[in-house]
Amino acid sequence: MRRLISLVLFTLMFGIILGGCGFKDIDKRFFVVAAGIDESGNPNKPFRVTLRLAVTSPKIEPGAGKSQIETIEAKTIAEGVRELKAYVDKELDFGHCKIFMLGEKLARTEMTQALNWMTRRRDIQMIANVSIGKPSAEAILQIQPKTERYPGNTLFLSFGKEGTDSSYTLSEYVFGLRKRLTEKGIDPVLPIIVSERDTYRISQVGLFNKKKLVTTLKPEETQLYNQITKTYLKSSLGGNVEDDPYVLTVGKIRSNYNIKNGPQGKPVVQMIIRINGLLEEAPKMVFEKDWTPIEQELGRQYSKAVVQLLKKFQRYGVDPVGFGIRYRATHYSGGDKTWQDWQRMYPNIDFDVQTHVTIEGTGLIK
Amino acid sequence: MNRYYYYSFLYVLLINIMMFVPNILIQNRFTGGVSSMLLAIPFGTMLVLVFSSSMTKFPGKAVPEILYERYPRWFVTPVMWVLASIYLLGSIIVLVAFSVVINRFYNPDTSSTIVLYLLIAACIYCATRTTLSLLFILEMLIIINAPLVVFVLGKALFTSDLDWDAMHTVANYVTVKPNLDSFAAATYIFSGYLNLSILNRALPPNFRLKHRWIIPLVGTLAMFTSVFIPIGFHGTEGVDEYLFIWSITADSMKMEFGFIERVLFLYLILYLNLTLLFTTFGWHKAMEFLKSTSKSYKPELDADKTPILNWVICGSFGLLTIIYSIVVDEKQNYNIAGKWLVIRFFTEVISAIWIFWLAYRVRSKSKSKSKINVKEQTESK
Repeated sequence: MRRLISLVLFTLMFGIILGGCGFKDIDKRFFVVAAGIDESGNPNKPFRVTLRLAVTSPKIEPGAGKSQIETIEAKTIAEGVRELKAYVDKELDFGHCKIFMLGEKLARTEMTQALNWMTRRRDIQMIANVSIGKPSAEAILQIQPKTERYPGNTLFLSFGKEGTDSSYTLSEYVFGLRKRLTEKGIDPVLPIIVSERDTYRISQVGLFNKKKLVTTLKPEETQLYNQITKTYLKSSLGGNVEDDPYVLTVGKIRSNYNIKNGPQGKPVVQMIIRINGLLEEAPKMVFEKDWTPIEQELGRQYSKAVVQLLKKFQRYGVDPVGFGIRYRATHYSGGDKTWQDWQRMYPNIDFDVQTHVTIEGTGLIK
Repeated sequence: MNRYYYYSFLYVLLINIMMFVPNILIQNRFTGGVSSMLLAIPFGTMLVLVFSSSMTKFPGKAVPEILYERYPRWFVTPVMWVLASIYLLGSIIVLVAFSVVINRFYNPDTSSTIVLYLLIAACIYCATRTTLSLLFILEMLIIINAPLVVFVLGKALFTSDLDWDAMHTVANYVTVKPNLDSFAAATYIFSGYLNLSILNRALPPNFRLKHRWIIPLVGTLAMFTSVFIPIGFHGTEGVDEYLFIWSITADSMKMEFGFIERVLFLYLILYLNLTLLFTTFGWHKAMEFLKSTSKSYKPELDADKTPILNWVICGSFGLLTIIYSIVVDEKQNYNIAGKWLVIRFFTEVISAIWIFWLAYRVRSKSKSKSKINVKEQTESK
């Protein structure tokens, strides 16, 4: 009797699993590897959604990555994606979509709606990379790199730490972008992907205020920004000392900053940067010279460049480094007052940057 | 036997995430959440120590036996009902919340009710087991899951995405005066000691709680990590926007060189185990409380045969869970969890004081008895 009861119960339980499950097999799915959102210019259907779908293939070799591009114009992003399902024969799956791209035009007008869609949708990873496509996200997605081993891999490797580790490339995740977009005291920064014939160049970043793209940085400035916000970044530092060009490969870079009241009571952002590295380019017989003046001179030039960059942020009214949140953390004065103080202070705050360069060696030659 | 006590403390402490404790504290982060957390540490520790040391005065006895021995039946039976329903509701909240999480993150195509039914089936089976077998299950699951907890925590603490400035900013709001909601939520972290109200049957007569310093230490660590790590990841403002805050935080971590890149899946496996464990224990405790109201009830630690009554009670718990999941939606479940935490807080305080008082009386009685003994001895001499 007992056995009979348990048998019936088990059968019923399996009935539950088999009955209403909406699971789709892996060969009935289209994996979206990259998604782009553009402004279409059409007022009725303002969004143009482009999806790069992986064409699965058993071959993994350079150039074997094939993908299918689907584009649609729609009133909202969600409706566009839903409508796109009618264009393809398999279920769309965003679970492996690691690149989201906003068209430059869209980024310059309004980006919050696109980001809301990304975070609200449950199958999108919070660790997907967000970037800006220039001239448009669609144009970037149309590129099919020749060396790609599987679809989308080139872009994944460019942003991740596993592949290339460029000091010009910044990577920003969905959760990080959302944090910066909502946080009082730090503003969003996104990498810009530019199409270069059959491949990509990711060496610039766009600065955002809380709503839209306000300006872009040049590659040199991008590297500077990356250097002052990260530690252990493989990068370089150049400068001229007495008309001789010097280039230092940076092994370790650390920056500390705090906000203090200056001599006349004017608030100052004090930043101390410590750089250690090896010389990669230098005049002959630099080994015999005294390195201290070289270090000081390189440090002075570097500080000047950093101050210029910080002044640029200030001019555009953005704070991508996060001085504001540091001020809120260290100068708490009850409630929201700290934040209001900071907003008043930031437009004419002074920057005092000191760089301590340490040359660890001259490479293999004197 | 000390380790079993700490296991049961540990799993309740870890389940706080499913009970929306971080959500409530984060919601109150500028309005007294931080000071409530700080207050909850000494208060929670005190409750733990008072209750636990009082229970050791009643070796081998659970709360129902203690009360039934001292008070009339008509008075104790409603108390048992109230305790049972509180434990039951707590488990139901967690189970329903987790079935929704699974539906959102594991497999969006499966309906959350099917997941819920499977979880219920597993919990019914486990909860009907004897108290002793449950203790063994507890040990196994804690040992299996501890590395996962350490991994997720380590991953969270040592990533460069953690914004210490944001955490510092929120910590500044410690001067705002505490409020009841967040205080009740924060004390939940320490609430695992209440398992002793049934598990005391399994503890040996000479049980003494050792290593008491573990309680405030681990409790503080758990409380601060479960609130401040999400703030570090999502900023002081954005953190309030997420519903499943810890699932999202786990999804914000990346294992470049793992089998799978997303830490989320590790986290979900961990919490699947913990949810099953929590519900099993919650239902088991509720079941024991209900069973104790019957006159013919005899507490058994490790019965040979599972009584039919166990199946009936746990089956009806399962049924109640299904009804709850139909009637209550996601938003209501969240609100009910907040209220449950406050009600639980008061019952906890009352039961701790009550048991402490009973233990005090037992001790004073035994002291006077021993005095009499001494007198008799001296007289006989």
